[in-house]
Amino acid sequence: MVDLLKKKVGIVACSGEELTEGTVTRLAALKVLEELRPNETVTICLPLFLAGGEGDRAFARFYPTIAVDGCDLRCAARATELYSGKPAASLLVSDLVAENNLDQPQGIRRLNEAGQQAVDFTAERIAERVDELLGKRWDRRAGEFIASEPEPTTEPEETKQATCSCGSGIPVQEIQIDGHAVTIVALPLIFAKLLADGKTPSNSTERDLLEMVRIYNPIPVGENEVYTKALLDAYQLYYQQQDVTA
Amino acid sequence: MSKKLKNIDKPKVVIVPCSGIGKTYGTVSREAAYNLIEDLRPETAQLVPLSLLVLGDKNARQAVSGSPTITIDGCKLACATKMVQESGGNVAQDFAVLDVYRRYRQLKPQGIANLNEGGELLAHALAEEAAEVVDQLIAGGQNG
Repeated sequence: MVDLLKKKVGIVACSGEELTEGTVTRLAALKVLEELRPNETVTICLPLFLAGGEGDRAFARFYPTIAVDGCDLRCAARATELYSGKPAASLLVSDLVAENNLDQPQGIRRLNEAGQQAVDFTAERIAERVDELLGKRWDRRAGEFIASEPEPTTEPEETKQATCSCGSGIPVQEIQIDGHAVTIVALPLIFAKLLADGKTPSNSTERDLLEMVRIYNPIPVGENEVYTKALLDAYQLYYQQQDVTA
Repeated sequence: MSKKLKNIDKPKVVIVPCSGIGKTYGTVSREAAYNLIEDLRPETAQLVPLSLLVLGDKNARQAVSGSPTITIDGCKLACATKMVQESGGNVAQDFAVLDVYRRYRQLKPQGIANLNEGGELLAHALAEEAAEVVDQLIAGGQNG
């Protein structure tokens, strides 16, 4: 279950299979996800922006995202901006290698020693960016930073596992609002959190529900009332399906 | 051709593997593709990366629309197959790693950055199956 309250940083690697630097991006991203910042990072496969659903396309809006590219075509950065949201940061392996006088990596399928060094170097640079981004406040609705004080730090979690959102992205749910089907980003997570907090589908919950939905979704001016009614109805249905009285 | 794609003198079958990072099956799909284009059929198969198709790269789109294409997907979302189709390509054969694994239950893949022996062997088995399809497509093209 995704923790709605904990901010994470998204990493999108180009993973270009035809280039050594593409392999470097993939392995560097994996190293950050598994070893360097396992509890602070998530990833998504680049093609899911097109092949996936609304939840996948919300990725770079939901998470401040670092695009990691192998070559100057910058497929990860450009496609992320085109289909999801503007990356919060961008790294280019070929530039990192040149600017830091690293030996040229070789071996698309099996990296040579210089390639492994490039992986380590790139992973460290990604981790630095992750730390920088975690220190800033992120507006998930606008997909951009909020100019204000840094976020408070949280205690690290104990589990170490790469968080790959392949196949899940950001969970979404479609509901009927005033006769129109509207996709609400993160609604299944919001419902789960309300349920976990012991909130019943009553008038006392509607304010919390609307404000949580508003964090991740734009609510048109003047439509608070119809959104509230539709959301509360959907939560009522969800609540009944959970059989909470058992 | 794009500077990122190799020039080809004679028709080749295009191979498009999954570009997944976080799961073993994605690594198997990629390893199978490399096995195919580097070891088994270097003269008749070429790789096109998904990232170029996602970006809508003109030459990558031409490659998949102008040649028969084999996709190798790591999960049920089938990004490779969907992207080739959305790019106007002709998917001659789509492989799913899980389906291939069901035929080779003894080869249990593990590892992401580095596959275990089972994963390497599974990738090779998949590449062998794909190589047969490459041969059929090349033969069909020459006869057609």
